[in-house]
Amino acid sequence: MNKKLKLTTALTMALPAFVLSTAMALAGPAEVSGPGVNPECFAPWSADTKFFKWDAKPGPYRIAVVNGFVGNTWRIQMIKTAKAFAEDPSLKEKISEFKVVSTGTDAPAQLGAIEDFINQGYDAIVTIAVSPDGFDRVIRLADKNNVVIVPFDNVLDTDKVMQVNEDQLKMGRMWAEFTVNELKKKGVTSGKILEVRGLPGNSVDRDRSIGINEVLDASGGDWEVVQVVGNWDDGTTQKVVADAIAVHGEFVAVVGQGGSNGVVQALKDANHPWVPVAGESENGFRKAIAEYSDDGLKGISIGQSPGLVAIAMKAAVSALEGNVMPQLISVPLPVATYDQLEDGKNYWSDLPDNFFTVNEFPPCGVNISGPEIMSQTEEDVK
Amino acid sequence: MKQSSTRSSDLKRWLSQNTGFAAALLLFAILFLTYNVLHPRGFSSAVAIQNANETVAIAFVAMAQTLPVLIGGLDLSVGAVMTLTNCVASELLTGSPLQILLGAVLTLLTGTLFGFMNGCIVVYGRIQPIIATLATGAVAIGLALLIRPKPGGNVDDDLSWALTNSVWDLADTYGFADGGEAWWLRPFADIPVPFLLVVVVAVIVWVPFRRSVTGRTVYAIGSAEGAAYMSGLPIQRAKITAFTLAGFLAACGGLYLAIQTSSGNADVQQAGAYTLNSIAAVVLGGTSLLGGTGGAIASLVGAMILRVISFYFRILDIDPLLQPLIEGLVLLTAVSFGAFRTLRVKNQLDLFR
Repeated sequence: MNKKLKLTTALTMALPAFVLSTAMALAGPAEVSGPGVNPECFAPWSADTKFFKWDAKPGPYRIAVVNGFVGNTWRIQMIKTAKAFAEDPSLKEKISEFKVVSTGTDAPAQLGAIEDFINQGYDAIVTIAVSPDGFDRVIRLADKNNVVIVPFDNVLDTDKVMQVNEDQLKMGRMWAEFTVNELKKKGVTSGKILEVRGLPGNSVDRDRSIGINEVLDASGGDWEVVQVVGNWDDGTTQKVVADAIAVHGEFVAVVGQGGSNGVVQALKDANHPWVPVAGESENGFRKAIAEYSDDGLKGISIGQSPGLVAIAMKAAVSALEGNVMPQLISVPLPVATYDQLEDGKNYWSDLPDNFFTVNEFPPCGVNISGPEIMSQTEEDVK
Repeated sequence: MKQSSTRSSDLKRWLSQNTGFAAALLLFAILFLTYNVLHPRGFSSAVAIQNANETVAIAFVAMAQTLPVLIGGLDLSVGAVMTLTNCVASELLTGSPLQILLGAVLTLLTGTLFGFMNGCIVVYGRIQPIIATLATGAVAIGLALLIRPKPGGNVDDDLSWALTNSVWDLADTYGFADGGEAWWLRPFADIPVPFLLVVVVAVIVWVPFRRSVTGRTVYAIGSAEGAAYMSGLPIQRAKITAFTLAGFLAACGGLYLAIQTSSGNADVQQAGAYTLNSIAAVVLGGTSLLGGTGGAIASLVGAMILRVISFYFRILDIDPLLQPLIEGLVLLTAVSFGAFRTLRVKNQLDLFR
C-alpha cells in the first residue's frame, strides 16, 4: 500500500508538472473547421458554431451519466432512456461500462462526481448541469485527461465543451407566438397572461422565459404577465396555478414551461374557461388538448425530450471515435399544435398522463418511444 | 508503568464520554478505507483532492450548524447564509491579490454579521432559534438573489485552481517554494489544499473557542440552561457568539464554494439541501440534537460520512433509481449508531435528557 502510495504520488506530481508547464492550452479537443460528421443528427447550432475534434481513442468506452436533480417524471424517463439506449445494438459493443448517478441539486456533489469519473478513467461523461456556471475546474481536468464531457438539457454558459440541446429561446418564442396568434384569432389584444416558470437558477428556465417575454413585449398587445414558479412539476404547478387563479381571477392565456398536466387540472378545478395554453409534451396535456380544443383549449405542445440523453451519449461516442463534432448540437424542436394531434401517434389516450410523448429521433437512430420506455418495469430495462 | 495505566484509563474515560464521536470516527474510517480499496485509483492524491473538494462546503456548513445545536436550537439559515456569501464572494474575489484578500474578508464578515443578527434576534427578540432562522434564512436567500439574479461571476482563475488542488499546485501556481519543488514542501506536497483549509479553520477557530468561558457556557446552556444561569455564566453572550460563529463558518463554506465553482449561484434548492444535510451531519457526528454534547470536529466527521456514502454509487453498480433509497437506508443505519446509548441507560428517565 505504501509503495502504491509513493508511486501514485510520484505520478501525480510528475503529471501536472508536465501538463502545466508545457501544454495547458493544447490539451483537450482541437478546434477544426466543419462540416461535422452525420449532420442530420448532430446539427450545428448556428453558422458560427465551432467544430471540435478529439484524438480517436480505441473502444469500447466507459461512459457515465451524472444527473443532478431527480424526482420528476422527466428525469426518471431520461434515466430509463439512457439505460435502454446503452443496451441498444448500435451502441452496445462500443460501451464497456455504463454508470448513472444522480447528485441532487448540489453543485459540489455534481462536480465531485464528474471529477471522480475522470479519476476513475472514464472516457466520456454526460451530464445535466445543476448550474450554467462553475464547471471551469472539471472542464480543465477533463481536457487534461482527454475526457469528453457532454452537458445536455441544462447546458453550460461556455463554448469550451461539446453540448447537446434544443433551442430553449426558440421554444419560448414559439410558445408565445402561438399564444398571441390564437388570442388574435379570438380578437383579444390585452389582458393577463399567466407564465409558469421552471426550476429557478438554471439556463433552460432562464432562456425559455426570455423567449416568451421577448415575443409578448414585441407583439404590441397590452399584456400583463403574471409569473409563478412551478418547478416543471405537475403537483407544484397545479398548486401555483390554482393560487394565481384565486388571486387574479381570469387569465386570457397560460404559457407554461412544464408541469402542463398541473396547468390543465388547475384550470379545470377552478372552472376557469378554456383559454389558449402553451406547454410541454406530457401525454396528459396532449390528451386534454385533444379533448377540449373545441371548447377553447387551443394548445401547443413542444417537448424537451428525455431522449436528448441518447443523442448526448451518441455524440460522446462519436467524439471519442475521432469524428469532427459541432461544439453546440441543436436537436430539432418536436412541436404539435391542437390540429396536429393524432391518437396513438403523438399522444396515447389509453396510457397514463405523466410521461413525455416525444422520445424518438429517427435521424439519430434513437427509436425508443415514450410509452415503450415508461411501460417497462425496472426489471425490464436492466 | 504507572503512566501508561493512567493513559489507558484516560482513553477509557474519553471513550465513555465521546461514544458517539468515536463510533462516527470508526464508521468513517471503515467506509473511507473500503472506498479507497474499491476505487481503481484509490489512495492517490487525485482521489483525495476530489473527495476533499466535494466535502468542504458541507463540512463548513455542518460545523456551523453544530453551535446552535449545542445550545439546544437549530439554525435553519446556515444553507442560506452559505448561498448569500457565495454570491457576495462571486462579486468580490477578483482583481489584484490585495483586492481578492479584501473580498474574502468582506465575504466572511457578511456571514459573521448575519450570524450576529441571528443571535441578537434569538436573545433579545426572545424568539425560538428554529423560527427566527427560518425567517432570516429567507432574508439571506432574498439578498443572494438580489446580488446575483442569474448564476455567474468572475472569481480569479488562478485562485480557483490553486485552492482546489494539492499543495504542490498551490506552490506551482503562485511560484513559491521553488514552484513546489523545495525539499521542505515535499512531505506536504500531496495534501489537498481544501482539506488543510478546513483543518486550519477548525484548529484556529473552534479549538480555542471550545476552551474559552464562552465556549464552555455554550455546552452548559445545552445541558441545563437554568443551572448555567444560576452559576452566573454569560448566557446571552454565549448564545450570540454561537450564532455569530455559525454565520462565520457558513461564510467559510460559501467562500469556498465560490472559489471551487469560480461563480456564485443563488440556488434556493441547494440552500435547503445544505441546511438539511448539515443537520444530518451533526447527528451523524454524534452531537445530540438536545444540545450539550458533541462538537464541531464531530460534525466534520459526520459531514465526511455523509459524503463517503454517496461516493460508493460511483464505484459500485447500483440501479440509479434505487440509489436515493439505498442512501436513505444507509443513513438511517448510521444515525442509529447514536441510539446505542439507550442500551446502556440505568434510568429510563435519562432518555428524556
